[in-house]
Amino acid sequence: MMNMNWKSMSAFMAVIFGVMAIMPLFVGGSDHLMHILIMCLIWAIVASCWDLIMGFAGIFSFGQVAFFVIGAYASAIFSIQFGINPVAAMFLAGMVAAACGILVGLPCLRLKGAYIALVTFAVHMILEPFLKSGMGRAIGTGGSQGIMTIPPMELFGIVFSADNKIAVFYAALLLAVVCSIIIMLVIRSFWGTAFLAIKDSKDFAASLGVSAFRHKLVVFALTSFLTGLAGAFYGHYVGMLSTRMLGIDLFVMLMIMLVIGGIGKFPGAILGAIITVTANEMLAPLGPYRPLILGAMVVVLVLLLPDGIIGLVRRFIPGKNPADSRSPSG
Amino acid sequence: MKKFCLITLAIAILFSFAGPVAAADTIKVGVPLAMTGPYTDTGDNYWKGIKMAIDEINASGGLLGKQLETVRFDTQEFAPERVMQGADYLVGNRKVDSVHAGWAGWGQDVRAYGKYTAPFFADDGSQAAVDVFRENPEEYSNIFQLTDTDINQATSMFNVLMALPHEYPNKKVVIINADDSWGMGVGDTLEENFRNEGWDVALREVVPYGTREWRSVMTRIRRIQPAIIHVEIVSAQEVITFFRQFMQRPTNSILSYGYSIVPREVVQTMGKEADGLIGQVPTAMPTPIAPTPEAQAWVERFVELWKHQPQAGSWAAYSGVKAWATAVEAVGDEKDHKAVTDYISTHGYKGETGWWKWDEDNVMRGGGDVPFGHYQVQDGELVTIFTDPPVKPYMDFKFITPRWFK
Amino acid sequence: MIYEYLDIFISGLTIGSVYALMAVGLTLIYGVSRAFNFAYGSFYSLGGYIAWIFMVAIGLRGGYAMVFALAVPLLMVFGYLTEKAIIAPLRRRSDWEVKVMMITLGLALFMDNGFQVLFGPRMKSLPPIMEGVIVLGEVYITKQDMMIFVLSISGILAFRWILNNTRTGMAVRAVAQNPNGAKIVGIPKDKIFAATFGISTVMVGIGGILLAQKYFVSPMGGWDILVKSWVITAFGGMGSIRGSLYAAFLLGMLEAFVGYWFGMSWVLFALFAVLLATLAIRPQGLMGKWG
Repeated sequence: MMNMNWKSMSAFMAVIFGVMAIMPLFVGGSDHLMHILIMCLIWAIVASCWDLIMGFAGIFSFGQVAFFVIGAYASAIFSIQFGINPVAAMFLAGMVAAACGILVGLPCLRLKGAYIALVTFAVHMILEPFLKSGMGRAIGTGGSQGIMTIPPMELFGIVFSADNKIAVFYAALLLAVVCSIIIMLVIRSFWGTAFLAIKDSKDFAASLGVSAFRHKLVVFALTSFLTGLAGAFYGHYVGMLSTRMLGIDLFVMLMIMLVIGGIGKFPGAILGAIITVTANEMLAPLGPYRPLILGAMVVVLVLLLPDGIIGLVRRFIPGKNPADSRSPSG
Repeated sequence: MKKFCLITLAIAILFSFAGPVAAADTIKVGVPLAMTGPYTDTGDNYWKGIKMAIDEINASGGLLGKQLETVRFDTQEFAPERVMQGADYLVGNRKVDSVHAGWAGWGQDVRAYGKYTAPFFADDGSQAAVDVFRENPEEYSNIFQLTDTDINQATSMFNVLMALPHEYPNKKVVIINADDSWGMGVGDTLEENFRNEGWDVALREVVPYGTREWRSVMTRIRRIQPAIIHVEIVSAQEVITFFRQFMQRPTNSILSYGYSIVPREVVQTMGKEADGLIGQVPTAMPTPIAPTPEAQAWVERFVELWKHQPQAGSWAAYSGVKAWATAVEAVGDEKDHKAVTDYISTHGYKGETGWWKWDEDNVMRGGGDVPFGHYQVQDGELVTIFTDPPVKPYMDFKFITPRWFK
Repeated sequence: MIYEYLDIFISGLTIGSVYALMAVGLTLIYGVSRAFNFAYGSFYSLGGYIAWIFMVAIGLRGGYAMVFALAVPLLMVFGYLTEKAIIAPLRRRSDWEVKVMMITLGLALFMDNGFQVLFGPRMKSLPPIMEGVIVLGEVYITKQDMMIFVLSISGILAFRWILNNTRTGMAVRAVAQNPNGAKIVGIPKDKIFAATFGISTVMVGIGGILLAQKYFVSPMGGWDILVKSWVITAFGGMGSIRGSLYAAFLLGMLEAFVGYWFGMSWVLFALFAVLLATLAIRPQGLMGKWG
């Protein structure tokens, strides 16, 4: 069952991205705050992709951070080792991430629930030792030191580096808008319907000729591509990469975004990303109490906010979305 | 439209919390350290030194008549974006006039803080960080390293191993290191040095953090019977379990722990059990007797304050704060970052044991008044047996052949 | 040479016995209630910290026997209440499997950082459960490892006995085999879920105590255990206790021998390679029933 119709989904996204677009007017002078905004957008892409996989396609994939890192490293290596223009390298990196997605998806999408979670998480776990290993160093990952100098993107004479955060911000906004539209199109298309059918009743879907496996694989590849693209963007923006991104912190943050945004409640994930990144920065001065509070927040929110912030918004703004927010039981 | 304005307002309010807060007449000092995650304990070592220095300065009337105010930032696991965010937050947003870190990102930090002017002190001990510095020494002139590189530290470890008053029965060595930047740097340098001296590196193991079951490595070690085993994993659990499992059936090998001797728990947990282990600390305060009365007084103040012996890094971080404060006093204006950094680079700083001088790479090289310290655990305490460079015995303390030698 | 292999074999047995204890607890919850517990590693650390509080902080008399006697009911109650408080309310929802993973991940974050705030970031050490080495010619076994092996295996046997011979145990098995049928015959499903969670917490908590005295306790130390237990349960077949047992010893041996032949850095690669190969051929693991 579709929770949001086409119109309200686009309106919602227009509002979020519209608000984001004018934020530099208020905080454009502060690199620190601009960075938070940029990270909001980058994580919004990743969280939306994850939502598409988990919430709509019903695949418990835990490999999202891994594909992000694969994209980041691939793009950095293409641009450094082969001198490819960063913009082109980003797309190539997206392709690499998609290829990895297919490679992982092939054996794994036939598995069930917790097994998929394990295998995809295994990709995450194995990535760090791989990037650090001799094999990793041979392809230019810089081993345990990481990559220290990644050239920034350059388009129309504008350098999108960490020193020019306003430019990076609008590039990130464009990327986020494009990715969100793609995700929305997927959800609205035949595929989205197919997925919900698969999720609700596999047998029924099969009888209609919907091949769960093929659809899942394509969506897996697509989200890996977009996530890899976001990772590549991140790499060229920050200008440095290390395996330390694969720590548990980032993974949990991403999950919190989904919890807050609501699983399968796109575009809630975008709002979830914005709220989580901002809250995380605000809690930063608290040191060790920050993850403590984040953890408690997850527990409380999962219990009290089953449909994430979107569900809450809908409860307080009645009439806007007449559709019932409760999912069908299955 | 109403909703649009409402959300804009909400986000703007949200962000205003994160904005700068107007402060009284204080000098702000940024302290980016790991406060959560796997690096928390090393972050704690540095913090204790930095806090001690700042409290001392404040207690004696402050700097240029102003009190110092610390602004902390949690660098977590040093993801590139976190390191950059630390710089943008502390220097860009909170406008601190100096930054005191410990482990800070092994090169990532140089880039992140180098674009600002506020003096930045790190304890990276990494050639990677120096390489980044060399790309643009002008731009990065505000970056100061409190310790020498991994390569030089490992070379020092090697030199002391060769200088030990000990007859090696063979020329076989086993090197075990963690798969992080530091472990690899030391492991590679040691391997090269041993090979150049005609040694046989019979086993080189790179292990992930969290390795605590060593029996398969021990089995190979017992076959090899190496003259030296070097372990470079800066984490107590790994090195304590290694030692205990080694001791179940020891070989006639010198156990060299390099920098892994420093986590406080190693000596604290094992006490006399750890007797015989040797290790190295850069920019170290030699113990149990400090080289000068001032240094001895410093150690006693530290112990009184924190109730335990100073850890590696505490004194280095303390000295970083003091070096900066001295320069600010001399320049007379904490806001004139250029003059302050120039002062530190040209004049150095006279600390408890003597002069700290930064070289043309802004690295505090080992030697002179602040050499590398080489320790042996004796009677449950870290005892300095050598300082380097040049390799020379420290006071009257002697290397003792470990008890497991048959 | 033969002695070296014996040496490695003993190493594999020691590792395997601990893995077995951990994995059985994890597979049990999954088998009975389909819930995947991400906070499993934190429960492991909890066991270690409980032991540390009793042995070191309070300095309780009676040694480890006393620690176990006190820790078992504590862990049981903790697990039971955790299930009642945060997992049971989710069960009514359609997407509860994801929600359980998320909420337990949140709990893990909360607990790990709670440990850090309470006990500090540094590791805690415990006195060894038994000291000394048994030497048999060329081969040696430490009494500590032997105790770990013996206690792990007794833990698993005790657990089997509970499953087969007590009313609760039989109810647990009934729910695992046929949840609806169990409900029809009047077994209180909700209580059984909570009890199962409690039992599994006891298993991993005991594992935490046993390993803490050899490997120490630290706030983030549980993640490694979670991942290993997860791999083992998936390899053995989620929900299959016998499968987990075989898997634990097989992977323990694999770890020991790969470390010996190729080096420690290959262990993780090898574990996942074996897991993937197994799942490619048998998607439900060695002995899993639920594919």
